[in-house]
This record gives sequence, structure tokens and C-alpha cells, in this order.
Amino acid sequence: MGTSDAEERLARVRLNFFACHRGDWLLNLLAVYGGAAELLRRPARELAAEAGFSLETAERLRAQAAEADPEAELRAAEKAGVAVYTALDEGYPELLKQIYDPPLVLYSRGGLRPLPAAAIVGTRKATAYGLRTAARLARELAQAGAAVVSGLARGIDTAAHRAAVEAGGVTWAALGTGLNCVYPEENAKLAEAIVEGGGALVSEFPLDKGPLPANFPRRNRIISGLSLATVVVEGGFESGALITARFATEQGREVLAVPGPVDSPVSRGPNFYIKNGAYPAENAEDILARFPPDRVFGLKTGRGKGAQSPAEAALRELSPDALEAFTAIAAREQGLNADEVTAALGWQVQRAAAALFELEVASLLLSRNGRYCRAV
Amino acid sequence: MLSTLRTLCLKGIDGKEVSAEVYIASGLPSYTVVGLPDAAVKEAKDRVVAAVRNSGYDFPSRRITVNLAPAEIRKAGTHFDLPIALGVIAATGRLGEQPPARLKETFFIGELALDGRLRPVAGVLPMLLALKDRGAAAVVPEGNAAEAAVSGVDCLAAASLKEAAAWVRGEGELRPCAPAPASQGATAVYPDFSEVKGQAFAKRAMEIAAAGSHNIILVGPPGAGKSMLARRFGALLPPMTPDESLETTKLYSVSGLARAGALLTNRPFRDPHHTISDAALIGGGSSPRPGEVSLAHNGVLFLDEFPEFSRQAIEALREPLEACTVTVARVRESVCYPARFLLVAAMNPCPCGYLGHQARECACTPVQVQRYRAKVSGPILDRIDLQVQLSAVKYSDWAGLPSGESSEEIAARVLAARRLQRARFGREKANAFMAGAELRRHCALPPGASAVLETAMNRLGFSARSLDKILRISRTIADLEGSRDIRKEDIVEAVQYRMLDKAAVPAAAI
Repeated sequence: MGTSDAEERLARVRLNFFACHRGDWLLNLLAVYGGAAELLRRPARELAAEAGFSLETAERLRAQAAEADPEAELRAAEKAGVAVYTALDEGYPELLKQIYDPPLVLYSRGGLRPLPAAAIVGTRKATAYGLRTAARLARELAQAGAAVVSGLARGIDTAAHRAAVEAGGVTWAALGTGLNCVYPEENAKLAEAIVEGGGALVSEFPLDKGPLPANFPRRNRIISGLSLATVVVEGGFESGALITARFATEQGREVLAVPGPVDSPVSRGPNFYIKNGAYPAENAEDILARFPPDRVFGLKTGRGKGAQSPAEAALRELSPDALEAFTAIAAREQGLNADEVTAALGWQVQRAAAALFELEVASLLLSRNGRYCRAV
Repeated sequence: MLSTLRTLCLKGIDGKEVSAEVYIASGLPSYTVVGLPDAAVKEAKDRVVAAVRNSGYDFPSRRITVNLAPAEIRKAGTHFDLPIALGVIAATGRLGEQPPARLKETFFIGELALDGRLRPVAGVLPMLLALKDRGAAAVVPEGNAAEAAVSGVDCLAAASLKEAAAWVRGEGELRPCAPAPASQGATAVYPDFSEVKGQAFAKRAMEIAAAGSHNIILVGPPGAGKSMLARRFGALLPPMTPDESLETTKLYSVSGLARAGALLTNRPFRDPHHTISDAALIGGGSSPRPGEVSLAHNGVLFLDEFPEFSRQAIEALREPLEACTVTVARVRESVCYPARFLLVAAMNPCPCGYLGHQARECACTPVQVQRYRAKVSGPILDRIDLQVQLSAVKYSDWAGLPSGESSEEIAARVLAARRLQRARFGREKANAFMAGAELRRHCALPPGASAVLETAMNRLGFSARSLDKILRISRTIADLEGSRDIRKEDIVEAVQYRMLDKAAVPAAAI
């Protein structure tokens, strides 16, 4: 029973409607039958016996696969400008192929150039320290020419993607939803900016798959799988960032962590990793140094030490008032709220408002829930 | 066997003349009230029977018809007791063969006790105001004497039906109504602003709100001082004009809350609980009554825990916020109550209240926060110019903070700013009510200022929707500074008071 590549490809897209939620046993079945097309031809009883799961599961697999319409899915993908890769296709990222359970199908919007990449991951409940560190690392990596990989979640992920885009770099976002349903919604604009900046949104889930809690941890293996190194910026012990780091370890990739204050709950994850041998990441140099030597070729390493960061330039142009306010805010890790700025400097409201405005439009301050923290 | 008396009734907050006709005919004993009476008016019968008999008159066991005309106005309230009772007595001929002039020309208002005493009723002031330019006199219960005196109408106070009947016959005199001593109701009800320590931005925002009559929402964790600020807010507003004072007093009178009798001279402060029904908030009921928004007329309406109010209640605020009146429509009538209030809303930053708190961790997910805030988004938020963030004050900071300015000092600046606005608009009107062409004319920006505005829009993600509000706030800030033009720094400051808009966009910096 010969199967053409085109047929096999369709079969994989079809099987993926079911497989994207399942563990690695499907890959075993694929290996046994030599392909998705062959697998789908087998009776449910045989599949169940071969894989060691119940008959119901096998029947559900067959039913769901039969219901799926891979041709329509491919047409929709083409219309949405989404490329669909299976492991048979050229363009399926080589690094991702090497992991234990690579996605059966990878949807991608935007180009997936074979760039050396590092993942920057962390909690959604990040502190100002985490956000600005994630942003700085991403900016430096982008400037060095490496791709920044993350998950488009709130917090650290958003900071990393945004900084990479703003630095004119390439960034890839691995989603836990289908590419037609960017989640969280407020990042839809950022997602567009990523694609426009030459980066890509990737996902193993069918286009219209909505957000399901179980799918987000699974996509973390893609984040680490696309990357040569994974950097944990912030995250508690239950954080998804640590799941990504564990995947990276299993996949034989480097794990780095950003050291944080020992009393910060979101720095417990990275500090734990450092204790257990992960490399501390202070800047992009530290990350690039952990890339395999053959992969750093072409990257602009060693730069950035002498160069002036955009923040330093912005600081130099500030008015004396704004500089004074910035110094006062930067001195406190917790930041200050507007009232505390007036009290700390003994200023009138109007004067403090003017200084805060100047700092905010210069992107030197981060305003979150009424508190201002240094953004650089 | 027919007598006709004059009395009054309420339509909304205006008085209307009503004539009460009593006809006694032979036939089976009965008592009928016609002319659109409500339940309380129908019940008048039992009080009238007892009061008439206990005042030394006969209540005839015959066929009695009471007609309240004009018949198309709905009659509510208990104040028809007195005219009906007098009508019955007159129709039995006990007040003389020919009805005396006093009976025909005087307006009677009052509720009867079973022993014939007169009880005070609600709505005396607005009813009497209908007589203001007619030179007519009225008899009111003694308990309403002070309130009646406010109307400026010639009024006499009677203690009982017996006294009133005697006066009609010309056998006694009634006391003219005297106003209550001036001190009543004029005492300060607002605590002083100097008691609020710290919260410099919020206090400044309140000053701006008072100066431009802008609605304001305070966002902050529990204990930040939101209610404390709101309760002191009324003291910043300019004193009520006599017209405002009279209008507000009328509303209180209709609601039966003006028993003290004096004109209200302090701006009202109303703070209904968030479990309030939309009818109680806006006004309503089967026989319409003013709601909290009308009781806050010319004053302050404080809605604490704003997102906890029911969706209907929040939505119902739209009409008064836009039109400054409330129309309560019922099958038989529709009444209009004025409701021009300054809204001070307060909310937590998130359901648990501790988002952004220094010391305590917030337990809410981003979706919960979003959902919580979405409750106040849209059309209502659109009517609230100032959005201010408050933070909890730590005790160590609090103890060291100096006391703030007194309400009086702030109120003086507010008053000066209001004068500028009056000169600008040529009448009593505040900046918050500028719209359309007026906004463009009075908020023209010098080049430097418009560049700042553009930066704010581009870098901080303000929408065109916020633009008008920023302009209005800037105008008021400039007025407070006594500046003719809006300056750069006014806009920069105004931007600080749109925190909910800012929070809606991801910070540009990360």
C-alpha cells in the first residue's frame, strides 16, 4: 500500500486534530506503522492493542480523525497566511525535530528562518525587576542577531517579545492556542508586530483551537525545543517557566537563570536552578556563551559593552526635575506611587506630574497599578 | 348638601391646585372617592370619620361622594384628610348656611389623627410654591409650619381639625407660620479636608473636580481613604445659590425629609449602599418618588464599591448623568425630577482590593481584574472625567505627614475658578458640561501644549475618547491657576488623572 507524500501530509494534519492533545504514544504508533496514513487505515481494535490503551480511546481517535477536514484546514491556513509544516516538509525547524516528541504538525505565521535562538521565559506575575531584565536580555539578544523565543503570555513573555520587536529583532512566539485565536487578547497587536518584524507565531494546534488550560504546558516544549538555550527570568515553583526549563533539560538544551533577590517569591525558581547548576544570566553575553560554538557563527557577540543603551541616551536628555524623580524611584526596588514621589521630593502635585509624564513618555518608567518602577 | 374646598397635590416636584368637592345625598350610607385617588387617599375615609366625630361634629350616615378635580392628575398622599373632613362638616351645614369666605378662598392641607389632631405631611413646600404669585392663603398642620414659611406664601398653622373648623367659622384665629431659627440646617455637615493626610494627587483631583464640576472615580485598596475624601468633598463646592437651595429643599420635602423646616443651605451628600435597587437609586415606585440621584441634586452622590452596584443601577445612571433629570414614566403619568449631582465613585483596583499594594499580595487573576473593571466601563465611565489612583498609606508614613490644607482654603480657589467659568460661558455652567464646538472654542491649545497632547496620545496609548476629557480637565486646571490659555503643564497634569485609560494599554516601556 504505497502512500504519497501529499497523502501522508494530509493524514498527519488530520491526525493532529486529535494528536495535538495527546502524549507520546501516538508517536510510537506512527513509528510502528511508518506514517499517519497507514495508522488511520488500521481498525480501532488493532490500534488499541498495539498502543495499550482502551478501545474507546481508539474509537474516539478514529471518529475525531474522520470528522476532521484537513483540506479545509489547509485552505484556511493558506488564506490566513499560515504555513503548515509536518516533519516531512522542508522548513520544519531542525532543532524541533530533534526533541523527544516533536509536534506532528507545526503551523507558522511569519518566517521561521533557521536562526540561533534563545528562549526567555517567566511568570505572568512578574516584578518590575523581572520585566526590565527580560526586556534587556531580549533587546541584547536581538541586537546580537539571535532570535528570542517565548510564549506570548502576560508578564515576562510580553516584555521579552516587545523588547525584541522594538530593537528590530526576530522573535518567535509559541502559542498554546490555534493561530487564529491569539491569547491573551490584549497581545493581538503585539502578535501582529512580531510577524511584521520578521518574526513568527507558531503553534501545533489547529487554527481555531481556543485556549485550554492543559495545552499551555504542552506548548512549552516547543519554546525550549526551538531554542539552543532557555533563560528563566522569574517564576515560582509552580510556574510554567519551570516547566519550560525542565523540557529544556530533557531535550539536552542549556538552561540559564536570572539571579534574583532571595526573598522574592518569583525568584525562587531561577535561584533554585542556579543552585542546581544552571548558569546565571546577567546579560546576553552569558547566554550566547552557552550556545554550541558552531551556532554562534555570524552573531554579533562581544558587542554592547562599550555601546550606549537607548536608556542611557534618554537619561542624558532629561530635565533636572525628571532626573531627580527618576533617581528617587530607581533607588527603591518596590518603586513609588505618585503620592510618594511628591512626599519624597517635597514637591507640589503639578511638579511631580510633569516629571512623571516626562519619564513615562521617555519609556524610563513602568507604571503598574499606580506604582512607578524604573523600566531600565 | 354640596361643598367645595381648595387644596393642592403634587405632580413631580410641582404643586397643582385641586378642588375637593363633597356631596352628601340621601340613600344607603356609603363613602366614595373619585378623581384618580391612590390607596392612601381612599383610606382617608376611616381617619376622616373618626376625626370628625372626635372633634364634636356628626359624620352623616348617608351617601357621601368626594370628588378630587381635575380628575386626570393622580392624587397621592394623606394631606387630603383635612379638606375632605372640612368639606363633610361644611356639607352638613355646621359651618353656616352659606359657606364662609375663609372656606372658599383658603387652601387646606393636612393629615388627620383619629382624635382630630393634624399631622405633618410630605411635600408642603413644593405644593405651596404653586400659590406663590396668587396671593392666596393656606392652612397647614403645625408640624409643617416652619417649612411652609419658607415658601413665602401666606400660611396659617392649625393644630387640629377642631381649631381649623373654628377658624373657618370665624370663631378663632390661627397662628401665622414662622420660619425656623436660621441656625438650623445651616451648620457644617462636612468634616474638614485638613484631616486627610497624604494623598496629594487625590486631593488635588478633588479640587479640580469641584472647580470644574467633573465627575470623579477613586480607585484604591481598602483603607486608602476613598470614603474619607468623598465625605469631605461637599465642603469644596461653592455655596448653593438661593434657587438651588429651594430646588433641593423641594425634593427633600416631596420625600418627606424636610421636617426640620428650614431651607437646605448645605449641598446634600448621599451615599446609598451598593445593594440599592435601581428604582431607589433613580426614583420610581408605583406612585413615583425621587431617588437617591435626586436627593443628591445640587450636591454629591457617593457610590462606594461602584462595580458592586447592580448592572441595572449603573446603567440607569446614564440618564441623570447626561440630562441632569430623571423621568419616571408610569401608565397614568410621567414625572420629572431634577438630578444634577456630582458623582464621586469609588472602587477597589481588583476584586480582592490589593492589586498594586505594597505589602499584601493580590489574589486575583488578570481575567478577574478585567471582568471587575469591565463592570464600570463603557457609557458610564465615559461620563466620569477624573480617574484617580489612591494607595494605602503606611502608618509610619502617615504619622509623619503634615496636615493638609483646610477645606476653606481649597474652596476659595474653587470659587475663583467657578467665577472664571461663569464669565466664560455667560451663565452658571461648569467646564464638565462643555461639549462639541464649545470645547473646541474654549480649549484651543497653544502649539507647545498640543505637541504634549500628541505625545501623550502616542506614547501612553490614550484614545481619542479620552482626548475630550483631558481637554476639559486641562481647562479646569488652567482656570484654577487663573490662566486664560491651557498651558503645557496643565495637560501634563491632566494626563495623571486618567489612570484607568492608562492601565488599559500595556506600558509602552516593557
